[in-house]
Amino acid sequence: MPMVETTKKLYKRLTWTWNPGSEKEAGDAIVKNLLLHWFPNKISKESLSWSYSLWLGTISFVLFIILVVTGVVLMFLYVPSVERAYSSIKDIEFVVSFGWLLRSMHRISAHLMVAAVFLHMIRVFLTGAYKNGIAVGSNRPLNWIIGIALFILTLLLSFTGYLLPWDQLAFWAITVGTNIASAAPVVGDWIRFVLLGGSTIDQNALIRFYVLHVFFLPMMVLLLFSYHMWRVRKDGGLAVADKEASSMKPEAQKPVKSKTYSLLGITNGTSVHVRTVSIDEEKNSVASSPHLIRRIWIVSLLTFLSVLILSVIFRAPLEAPANPSVTPNPAKAPWYFLWLQELVTITTVKLGSFTINGALVGGILLPTALLGLAIWWPYRDRSGVNSVGVWFARERSGQNYVFIGICLFIIVLTIVGTFLRGPYWNFYWPWEQWPTMPVKF
Amino acid sequence: MKLLESLKAQLSKPNSTKSDRRSFLQIVGTGGVLASLAGFFYQSFRSLLPNVLYEAPQKFKIGLPSQLADGVTFLEDRRLYVFKEAKSYYAISGACTHLGCTVKYTKLNSPKQVEIGNEKKNITFEFHCPCHGSKFYADGTNYAGPAPSPLHWYKLEIAPDDGQLVVNLGEEVEQNFRLTV
Repeated sequence: MPMVETTKKLYKRLTWTWNPGSEKEAGDAIVKNLLLHWFPNKISKESLSWSYSLWLGTISFVLFIILVVTGVVLMFLYVPSVERAYSSIKDIEFVVSFGWLLRSMHRISAHLMVAAVFLHMIRVFLTGAYKNGIAVGSNRPLNWIIGIALFILTLLLSFTGYLLPWDQLAFWAITVGTNIASAAPVVGDWIRFVLLGGSTIDQNALIRFYVLHVFFLPMMVLLLFSYHMWRVRKDGGLAVADKEASSMKPEAQKPVKSKTYSLLGITNGTSVHVRTVSIDEEKNSVASSPHLIRRIWIVSLLTFLSVLILSVIFRAPLEAPANPSVTPNPAKAPWYFLWLQELVTITTVKLGSFTINGALVGGILLPTALLGLAIWWPYRDRSGVNSVGVWFARERSGQNYVFIGICLFIIVLTIVGTFLRGPYWNFYWPWEQWPTMPVKF
Repeated sequence: MKLLESLKAQLSKPNSTKSDRRSFLQIVGTGGVLASLAGFFYQSFRSLLPNVLYEAPQKFKIGLPSQLADGVTFLEDRRLYVFKEAKSYYAISGACTHLGCTVKYTKLNSPKQVEIGNEKKNITFEFHCPCHGSKFYADGTNYAGPAPSPLHWYKLEIAPDDGQLVVNLGEEVEQNFRLTV
């Protein structure tokens, strides 16, 4: 019997923070558990709503965790050398037990993470969540910029991973991608040289992309992600909490028991009566453990399930080994860069005898301008406090239209590039048959 | 406490010799840290710029001129089109000037007359790029798609030792270049 008792006690000891039995335990849980300590003690009910945040940030993080776990296992199986990279991927795909599933999950999660982070950014914009509300000391515009940096890191992570299988798809996507870099004025060729560690895509390039992919970029993501989360706390939680607090009517707060240390000893009494708003009150908020934690578990499980199902349905492709002399026709960049590929195709401008390379306009100038615009935006947004943390606030409708316009433009170009471009980058409707192209010269 | 006191003292008489020494040491310390960081980053970064490249040489032999087939030969691993017309030879790069994909030699069904510069020429083939649809005339002049400039022409030479054709990818030449043997 004592055995059972001990086991029960031990189980309780290990799990009480996730399932606290009282208000006091709920408060202690957050402080006493390393994994929970970065959550607030209490959280407003609105912040937990499914429809406000759509939990896209959480989804992105869960995808990142799946990527780290599957990625570490893949690291044991993959050899980053031009002689063996392709065959080790082939082994992972066809020989290793569950290797295909690991690779497929890694790939699907990467694609989904790009999408989730992008949608998260759209959500933050449309709810005006990059704006400071009433919380003192908040700096949400800074966190928006950190978010943009995380988005770029996500793209770079996906892009560096693209080369590793060393197949035709990988080789030509990276050829196109790195040549865009070399279109930058003055330093372009040098940047490409540094990226590739040479002038051709070879062993130097592979090991560079590998190290960036498995160590440097993930570390940057972890660093910036922790700062991102820390800032959310410093900024007073989700923007919707600011909206809640500012829309509440001040009311008399119940006096709280207090102790005062005076010269004569401890004086027991109650605090002064105040009329104020308290978002921490019971009717507005709940304990993070278990309510927030429970929802995070639900989101995590659903994300994992989606990844699993999609990985089984959409198997990761593996084309012929990389061949620098044969360009597949059409040769496409990863889908999230196809709007750029579309842009570099249509933006070559001729002014008399002078030609401006589309790679410079569409591949460098336009994306840089968009990036600058995104960073600058929260500082020019002068809408009032009432449009913080609200979907489609009337005051911000003009901005929202512009933003949605830009996003639609990118999405439409992505769709055209992905589904409607065939050999020689000619336009084909999905029901049109592509002409067969000779693979060799 | 001592620290606080000395700080107060320093603040009250900022020009004392003691504070000069202190600020000097601060500058030396901060400077030292910054210099170490800068040096550390520089050496880390510089080590990633290769001093030796184990890439294929820019200048290489491709066999005796007489052994080359008439018309066009594609050197796959160097992405180079080598042409032989009677006794003259020339070489055009197969790398698209837009984003570096390999352009495809495309034979035309019937010869077409085109105006390149101010000259009228009859061409029987073109180069088409599979990536973004750039098109080039037979001499490499770009006429459609995003490619900003013509395909590169490279110098051909005859090796003095064994008379083989030598391609020099390090030296670009004009479109009227012909090596006559």
